[in-house]
Amino acid sequence: MTESNDKSRPPEVLIDPIDMSKLDPTFRKEIQSMPNADELSACFACSTCTAACPIANVWDIKPHQLIRMILLGMRETVLSSKEIWLCLTCFECQERCPQNVRVTDIFFDCKNLASEEGWIPNNIVSLGKELLEKGQLYTVTADWEREDLTLEPEVPGLSTTAVKRILSETRTGRLVKGGD
Amino acid sequence: MPAYSLYMGCSVPANYPNYEASMCRVAESLGLELQYLEDVSCCGSPNLRAMDYWGWVLVNARTLAIADNIGHDILTPCNGCFGSLKDAYHLLKHDTNYREKVNEELAKENLEFKGISKPRHFVEVLYTDVGIDALGKKVTKPLDGVGIAIHYGCHLLRPKDVTELSHTILDELVEVTGAHVIQYSLWKQCCGATVLPVDEDLAIRLARDKLKSMKESGAVFATVVCPACCNQLDLQQLGLRESYDEEYEIPVLFYSQILGLAIGLDESDVGLDMNRVSARPILQHL
Repeated sequence: MTESNDKSRPPEVLIDPIDMSKLDPTFRKEIQSMPNADELSACFACSTCTAACPIANVWDIKPHQLIRMILLGMRETVLSSKEIWLCLTCFECQERCPQNVRVTDIFFDCKNLASEEGWIPNNIVSLGKELLEKGQLYTVTADWEREDLTLEPEVPGLSTTAVKRILSETRTGRLVKGGD
Repeated sequence: MPAYSLYMGCSVPANYPNYEASMCRVAESLGLELQYLEDVSCCGSPNLRAMDYWGWVLVNARTLAIADNIGHDILTPCNGCFGSLKDAYHLLKHDTNYREKVNEELAKENLEFKGISKPRHFVEVLYTDVGIDALGKKVTKPLDGVGIAIHYGCHLLRPKDVTELSHTILDELVEVTGAHVIQYSLWKQCCGATVLPVDEDLAIRLARDKLKSMKESGAVFATVVCPACCNQLDLQQLGLRESYDEEYEIPVLFYSQILGLAIGLDESDVGLDMNRVSARPILQHL
């Protein structure tokens, strides 16, 4: 925080300078072409999203910084960040944005791009595998509980084959097979 | 008798049959006709949305299209299912290009998203279609004014332009049972369920913050309307004994259990013995 009096060395800085050559000017357009991201460039960096986020205190890159990084074209930093996967998806940021930037939705878009490029936590791929193999996230393990309540023994109404078929042809299928 | 297409999802039937049973019995007592949707898809949860948006839209659009063929609104007890179905519904209603793309895929199964059947959460149907006055008349065993903290759950309320739900409905629904609604500072805060697979410690901390805030404000019970929130607030209390050496002793009940007891259903009808932190103390407050 304090600046050095020694002028022979560069001053201490709070953030590293941005290397312009590493910026990807197409990144913002890429995000904007995804669902719910039309208002992205309306962000004026007021950081209301960060104030609203219940866990921004444990994020190294804060929500408003992520949005700014997208606009600047810091593609790799955003997509490889752990923060996008720590999003609670509570929509508190999005709800409060005075510019109607759909912040949480945009983080979903980022996670989709990150998944495509392999920056995805193993446990999320495991959930995808579960869906792909079982066609639903949870299966009944204690059928006596259902029996006690005179409910039918299995999860009612779900077609697991349809889910397996659909997801085997989308990114879930590619990611799970790629991980095997 | 208004009829609804019932979408139970996978988490409620697999993990919380007490929620499924109590909801169905409450609906029956109130004259709501619930018909299980058949052959529909698991919603995939926000985690599927994160890794595979297109796949997530497709599975949910498929469910919406099947419901369209029947024509009734969809009723679900789960915030996760509600959030996924309503979000997909909102997208397909507003984005015609996306809708065309999705319908091309659905056509392979002779299905089409038409947007007739609206996904609705059980508590919103209670509030809007049954109404507080009618519910009040059904209450035969009112609660004695005991303090209940409400956890709405994020995907029930937000984003508001998608959910179209007011953040006061559960307050009114709890009050009509005779209970007193406890105001607490973290009432809006997330339970942490979504980050459980990515950062368990953080998820536990969020649940703890929430329970602490409830306890400090004098809550004797808490109520939820989502299986994932229930995992975090009920089941996680057992975990907190080990991880933080803390005891909260806040029984967490699904709203349908509380309403069920207040309209005279038996404790076995609402599966009261299945709550992880014993919910039996509620019987002393009727």
